[in-house]
Formats: sequence, C-alpha cells, structure tokens
Amino acid sequence: MSGRDVKVTPLTALLPGEKARIVALGHGKGRQRHLRTMGLMEGKIVEMVAMQPARGPLVINVDGTQIAIGLGMARRILIEKM
Amino acid sequence: MKRISMMGCPNVGKSVLFSRLTGVNVISSNYPGTTVDFTKGYTRIGGEKFELIDVPGTYSLEPISKAEEVARTMLQEADIIINVVDATHMERNLYLTLEILGMKKPTIIALNLWDEAKHIGIDIDVRQLEKLLGVPVVPTCAITGEGVKALTLKLRAAKQSEQIKPMTEEERWRKIGEIIRKVQVVHHRHHTIWEHIADITVKPATGIPIAMIVIFLIFLFIIQIGNLIIEYLMDPIFYNYYGPWIVEFVTAFYPEGLVHEILIGNSTLESLNFTQSFGLLTTGLYVPFDMVLPFVVTFYIMLSLLEDTGYLPRLAVLVDTGLHKLGLHGSAIVPTILGLGCNVPGALATRIMETEKQRFIAATLMAIAVPCMAQSAMIFGILGKYGMRWILMVYGTLALLYISLGLVLKRIIKGESPELLLEVPPYRKPDPVTLLKKTWTKAYGFLVEAVPFVLLGVFVMNLLYISGVIELLSGLFSPVLTTLLGLPKEAIVALIMGFLRKDIAVGMLLPLGMTPQQLTISCVILSTYFPCVATFVVLLKELGIRDMLKATGLMLIVSLTVGVLMRAILI
Ligand SMILES: Nc1nc2c(ncn2[C@@H]2O[C@H](COP(=O)(O)OP(=O)(O)O)[C@@H](O)[C@H]2O)c(=O)[nH]1
Repeated sequence: MSGRDVKVTPLTALLPGEKARIVALGHGKGRQRHLRTMGLMEGKIVEMVAMQPARGPLVINVDGTQIAIGLGMARRILIEKM
Repeated sequence: MKRISMMGCPNVGKSVLFSRLTGVNVISSNYPGTTVDFTKGYTRIGGEKFELIDVPGTYSLEPISKAEEVARTMLQEADIIINVVDATHMERNLYLTLEILGMKKPTIIALNLWDEAKHIGIDIDVRQLEKLLGVPVVPTCAITGEGVKALTLKLRAAKQSEQIKPMTEEERWRKIGEIIRKVQVVHHRHHTIWEHIADITVKPATGIPIAMIVIFLIFLFIIQIGNLIIEYLMDPIFYNYYGPWIVEFVTAFYPEGLVHEILIGNSTLESLNFTQSFGLLTTGLYVPFDMVLPFVVTFYIMLSLLEDTGYLPRLAVLVDTGLHKLGLHGSAIVPTILGLGCNVPGALATRIMETEKQRFIAATLMAIAVPCMAQSAMIFGILGKYGMRWILMVYGTLALLYISLGLVLKRIIKGESPELLLEVPPYRKPDPVTLLKKTWTKAYGFLVEAVPFVLLGVFVMNLLYISGVIELLSGLFSPVLTTLLGLPKEAIVALIMGFLRKDIAVGMLLPLGMTPQQLTISCVILSTYFPCVATFVVLLKELGIRDMLKATGLMLIVSLTVGVLMRAILI
C-alpha cells in the first residue's frame, strides 16, 4: 500500500473497457459465497464489458469469465479503479 | 449395481462427458443448469455394469436452492463420484471439489476442457494436483473423447482423500489459493476471435440487432426445413405408400360400419383426406407424424444449438431489462423458449426463477401466451394458405398478451422480483453427436407423449359424435360461441379436444368451413383458454392448487376478453 489516495467506488461507476480491483463484495454471507464461486473475489481484477441501457444488467469479465449482474447487486460491490 | 454420480459446476462439459460414457438408453433429458431433473444412464466398465447419474450442476453443496439439496443427496447415495472440473476455471471449480472430498466418498476427478486450457495458455501440473488432493486426476476433452478411456480405466483407483479434511469456508478459499499457486501457470493470453464475437453479441448497440437477426433466422429455418421435410419426405410416405395401403387393408376387413368409421373415417383411395377424415389410423397418425414432428425436430435442433453454443445466456442478458418490467428477469427467457417447443419442459424450467412471485408470473405467462411447437405447426398448417398476416395476427396478439399481462401481474402479485446473476459462458463449438442425441431424446419424448394422447382424443371424439354428446354440448355453448365470439357452435369440439392436445384441436377447426378471421380468433382462444392436460398436471405440481386455480381463472377471463375484442375488431 502506498500513501496515495485510492478511491473506492461501486462497480457501477466503471465504464466499458475500464478495469478495477475488487475491494469488497458487500452482501450477506450466502450471496458472498455465491459470488466467490462464480469467480468474483476480493483482490481480483474486473473489466466492464457492457452495460445494458435503461438500468439493465452489467456484463463484467473476471479472469476470463463473463458474468451478468443486475444493477442493484452491482452497486453493493466496491472497487478501486486502476 | 454400483452407482456413479457425476458432479461438477454448470458448463464444465458434464453432459457431453455423460453422453460419452453412457449408451443410448438414457432416461429423462435435462436442460443444463435449468431444472433439477437429472439424467440417468448405464455404462459398462471392465465387464461391470454401473448406473451413471448426471447430477445437476452446482457451484457448491451449501443448500441455497433445490439444486444443491438434490446434488447433496445424490452424492450421499453414490458409490463413486466423478467430479468434473473445468481446467480453464480451476480456482472456482475447486470449491465444490474440496466440499466433495470432505464428504469422504471414493472420488476421481476429470479435468475437462483440457484442450481449451492448453489453447488459452494454462499449464496445470496434474501429478502435483493429484498429490495435493489425494485422489486420481485425469485430463479429458469430452468433445473429442480424449482421456475418456483413461478415466474409465482409472475408475477403480477412485478413493477417499486423506489430504482434504472437512473445513470452513475461509479455510477452503485459502487452501484453493495454495493449490492454484503450486499447480497452475498461466501464460500470456491472446484475445481470440470468439472472444471478440462474445463481446459484440452482449454489447447493447450491436447485440440487440444481432439477437433479432438470430431469432428471425431461427424461425425461418424451423419453418423452411420443417416444410421441406413434409413436402419431400413425410407427405410422399403418407400419400403414396401408407395411405392407399391402410385404406385397402381396413376396407378388406371392415368395408363399412362403425369400426371402419373409427379407424379411417371417410378416407377413400380416391381421396385420402388425411386432415379431415378423423380416423384413428388416418388423421390420428397424420397429424403427429406428418404435420407436427418435422417442426418439432427442427425446433429442437435449433434449441440445442442455442444452448450448446452458449448463446442463450447472452439472450437472457439482452432481454433482462424488458423482462424486469414484467416482474421477471432475463433467465425467464429459458422457460419461454422451452415452452415454444413444449409447455411441459417450459413449466418445469420455471424453477430457475428464484421467488414464488417470479415462478407464478413465468408459468402463467407461458401457459397463456406461449403456444407449443405442435400447436404452432398446426397454426401454420391451417392459416398459412390464407397468407402470412393471419399467422402474424395470432402471434402478435399472443405477444401483446404476454407483455400486458406481465405488466399487470408484476403489480398485483405480492413478493419479490430479484435481479439477474448469471455466468455467461464462452462460445463453444457444439458437439454434433451430443446435439443429435439430445434432439433424438426430445423428438422421441414428443412421440411417446403425443401419439397416445392424439389417438385417445380422436377415439373419444368419435364416441362423443356417435353418441350425440357433441350435439348436446354445442347447443349448450352456442350462446358463448356464436353470440360472443362469432364462431360456429361446432367449434366446441376443438375446445373440448384442446384439453387433451392442442395440435389436433387446431386441426379440428378445418372441417368447420370458417373464414380466416374466425380461424384466427379460434387459434388465439385455443392457445389461451387452458393448457393441455400434460402441462396442467405439471403446473399443478409446480404451483400448488391455490396458485393454479388463480392461473386458471385468469386464463378463462383473458381468453374470453381477447376473443370478444378480436371479434369486435375483425368481424
Ligand atoms: N473445447 C471443449 N469443449 C467442451 C468440452 N467438453 C464440453 N465442451 C463444450 O462445452 C459446452 C458445455 O457443455 P455441457 O456438457 O452442456 O456442460 P454442463 O453444463 O456441464 O453439462 C458444450 O458446448 C460442449 O460442447 C471439452 O473437453 N473441450
């Protein structure tokens, strides 16, 4: 960790093509396990692939796996942009 | 007989491996990742016969839904476990593996998609992995069959793991990190052309037009190929060979009378009249085999293609926003598409929806507004000759119903509508053998289910006609049919038949000499007023008696309202 400011934002702030590191999954224990078994884990790099219009789901890429996730759920996942 | 359970996460190639290992006598086909139904088959390894079970794919054994509960039970009942692991996604697959190994059952691991892992530059030290896990690990490529022989040879070496103890969630993730560091090296990955296509088909600006083209092409293909099969294969068989033969054969024994009537109706050598004679051996066989089966086969080929290439989840993502407005989410596209084939698997697939509210909406919308392929085939058959616009009118009305009912149900049904969370697997080349096997299983399933019902229906109808019951009923219902809906009162026969089979019910509209307007209204009413008995039974089991009563009431009201409205507009 360097002393520089890292800005933690929700996953929804990422634009298509941008990458970020996952900081926290921010859900209940059961949902967290589910997310981890799908490959979404703290410390992993996510890339935004696509955002569907009209508050539709996001498609993200983690370790070469694409995951579609609803906007509400994505808001609770925290990332730091790189 | 010993039982082998095949377990693994969704999309690891479990079904393909399963069909490699088993023979043709496979019982019940499942839709990967969608229903808790499982597939069972038999296999002979080293002279011994085993029962092989394809357990529904889950990421964990923790009971978060029915699928995990079923998986856990099947694990406990098995003698040997084959754990199928996706070599390209070891990290998250190993969670389930560690859970399984903690259960102390003899286990062997198939490290599948080995070709894919090599292709994208992932090196895995198999010996080291074996040592760390304490069970045999065999690299396999299910689609080419590579490694499958080695897997069967090593089956006897399956054993309980000494190394892996039951552990907590945190310990498991830590252990996985440790294992991955020791056995896996990832080389530089280059973007493949398929990954570019994957991105294009899921970005809204390009994905939505592509989805429309894909859906259009699929329907075009189903209709065109279905028609070709009818024209060049089925019709010649029925008109040139089977028809003349069966008429002569029956006439030789029963030149006339009741039995002649029931068996071949008014078919003669000069006029075979397959569609209207209403004999058990004429119309009763012609409708399922000639008019419906060709479309069912082409439909299931296309459906398997959509499933096996990995396009279906992308479609789910693209339609998610729209389906949300109806209280559903993207995954509801699965029961809807399955329902277009047959409402029974469609009804079963509503289980993938997470909440009761979503299941109710998905099931009700399907039962009301999604006609099965058998019914569609007959709708094309009877309306096609009047022009495309009548067919479009039927489907347009049903689509409108799907949307408007969804908007209403979302508001009046209590409960939650959770969001989409779905893995979008990479595009993969479908395996032709698996594809044909799947199509065969489903087409066979259609024949086994449909033909007895069609024959029973035709038989019962003949009896009802002869005994005069039909006349009684058409008199009874004529106020509704003629006054409200503008249909001839004889149309009651189709509605009665519709309880049993929708395809033959649509066929029964033919001899009534209706106008295209009347036919269109009848087709819509037949789709909406009630599901066929097979679907009804499944829905009753899935929804429970109270919700089913609600759904049924809704069907009757909707059907009558739409019928009256259409009459006002069309006639
Ligand atoms: N390249 C490659 N593709 C595979 C392999 N095994 C399965 N597939 C493909 O992976 C996809 C998913 O397989 P499926 O058996 O339906 O997955 P399941 O959900 O685990 O049953 C299909 O398109 C298969 O053709 C393999 O070893 N190599």
